[in-house]
Amino acid sequence: MTALLQTLIFGLATGAVISLSAVGLSLSYGVTRFINFSYGEFLTLGAYLTVLGVAFGLSLPLAIVLGMLAVGVAGVVLARIFFDPLMDRGFLALLVTSVGLAFVLQNLVRMVAGSNPIRFPLPLMRPWHVGALFVPKVPVLEVAVALLAMIVVHLLLTFTRIGKMMRATSDNPALARASGISTARVLAATWFLSSAIGGLGGVLLAMTQIAVQPVMGWSFLLVVFAAVLLGGIGNPYGAMLGSLVVGLGIELGTTYISPDYGHAFAFVILVLVLLLRPRGILRGAF
Amino acid sequence: MALLPFLVGLTTLALIYGLLALGLNLQYGVTGLLNFGHVAFFAVGAFTSALLTLPPKGSAAYLQADAHYQIGLGWPVPVGFLLAGVAGGLVALLIGATSVRLSSHYLAVATFAMAEIVRSVLTNEDWLTRGEFGISNVPQPLKDTVIPAAVYPYAYLAGTVVIVAVLLALTVRLTESPYGRALRSVRDDELAARSLGKRTPALKLGAFAVGGALAGFAGSLWTHSLGVVHVGQFVPIVTFQVWLAVLMGGSGNAYGALLGSLVLMTITQSTRFLGNVPFLDGLTRRNPSFVPSLRFVLIGLLLIAVVRFFPRGILPERPRRPRRRAVSARRRAQTGASGGSGATDAADTPDTPDTVSREDEP
Repeated sequence: MTALLQTLIFGLATGAVISLSAVGLSLSYGVTRFINFSYGEFLTLGAYLTVLGVAFGLSLPLAIVLGMLAVGVAGVVLARIFFDPLMDRGFLALLVTSVGLAFVLQNLVRMVAGSNPIRFPLPLMRPWHVGALFVPKVPVLEVAVALLAMIVVHLLLTFTRIGKMMRATSDNPALARASGISTARVLAATWFLSSAIGGLGGVLLAMTQIAVQPVMGWSFLLVVFAAVLLGGIGNPYGAMLGSLVVGLGIELGTTYISPDYGHAFAFVILVLVLLLRPRGILRGAF
Repeated sequence: MALLPFLVGLTTLALIYGLLALGLNLQYGVTGLLNFGHVAFFAVGAFTSALLTLPPKGSAAYLQADAHYQIGLGWPVPVGFLLAGVAGGLVALLIGATSVRLSSHYLAVATFAMAEIVRSVLTNEDWLTRGEFGISNVPQPLKDTVIPAAVYPYAYLAGTVVIVAVLLALTVRLTESPYGRALRSVRDDELAARSLGKRTPALKLGAFAVGGALAGFAGSLWTHSLGVVHVGQFVPIVTFQVWLAVLMGGSGNAYGALLGSLVLMTITQSTRFLGNVPFLDGLTRRNPSFVPSLRFVLIGLLLIAVVRFFPRGILPERPRRPRRRAVSARRRAQTGASGGSGATDAADTPDTPDTVSREDEP
């Protein structure tokens, strides 16, 4: 029983880590309509920029915020250079370009920072003991950060003008344009938001792994895909739910089936979703 | 630097990648299937061929090589080669059976995930594959017994040329047959193909399996040329290098796929010498992964550039028209009663429905 509760706690934390990236990816799919294979690199960038910020003497929270903003800007710029000119060329061009961009970004990081993992500068935190349960503070912190970010995204989408414009564009691009919404502005705002959230997701991933390395985002990408597709692609609320299921799936699988496979359980969930319910639990559109 | 051995190695590698590209070209270029997991079939072919041909555990050769693997059947290399193709095809059939019905980019994600599952299994089932350590004494056919080691690379290249030429001829024959036309109809307009009675899922599955078999053969050629097999060779970037070869060569054209591989390998293998450039030299000493990473940056940029500026490739697929004589003869037979000018009719009608429907009845 304790083991199960323990697993559930870690599953919740894993779900929280996935949820940020999943929501970000889902937002960008809603507006751009292609699955971005370079999204994992935004995670990597966020984590590395945070490490860099701390190395320059910033406090960890400040470094995280600056890192997020920088990744957001990078997302807008990269999209303007690489994706915008291909928007009317069909999704194969976009898909392959995003793969190419992923290799470029990942290996640029490796060229600058080397392949070896770098320790993530997290202060040591003593775990809590609740009865027989062992509750480290990092997962709790991760769940808190993710929840906060979800609430911010929700408020942004529901109450702000730009959020409403994003939802309108995602629902029906032609109608949105016809009612005077500037597609270019919505596109830029979406890229900024989704990349910045991805950057924060990368920080949480680095906190879990206690280290950053150039492949971290790329190898986490399929886990994020699994959550996004499970929730119904393009739907951020579905992505939150999907992340929870995938996080619990990974931790339960690791504890009760085989510790060797880890992320592979997420891939299995992904394949099952594609086969049984390709449009996800909550169908598209938000 | 010895130029000739470098060129021989380069050509062998380009031919092996060319075989992978032939498979992907059949799947994507001809049939329009977005396969992002091609490396899985390559890996399965390589391991199948290696495990079938390795000297059995406990044999003299096993002890001499100080090996640690569990399974080796000691079968002849040609059998390993053929069964590698069968294994690649079967795995493709399995993966395809579950996912070819998915639309476009869901298929890309599904195949990408399946390839990662295959890699995960190969990494973790190390009783079979020795995981990250790999197996290093994969037999090289006829080496030392018939062909001396000094000229072995040349002989291997010759063998590879023959095998790839045969498979190329068979593939071209397949894609030029009525079956090939049916595959292209799936790519061009799946709905039209279905409404004309083509079983498009079966066609897609067929293309997927044959492409997988070609990748399996490539895996076998690759592992016996190196004498080594380990999981680290089969990472996703292999898949996308093959994509780059197909797109650069001209998707839909088998010769383009081969040419694309040759160009790609020339570029990537030449970048090995980047480490000798004086300025990069110093950077390499500080960060040993600098030059390898630079190569992948170049591959990524090339992929982006080809898609953006050069989408039809070096050898674009030739446009296809109905053979005028055959069609006009049939038209004349059909419209003969009304005495119309059948020949001009056929030349003027748009060719789309004909390219789909002609003479390839199920």
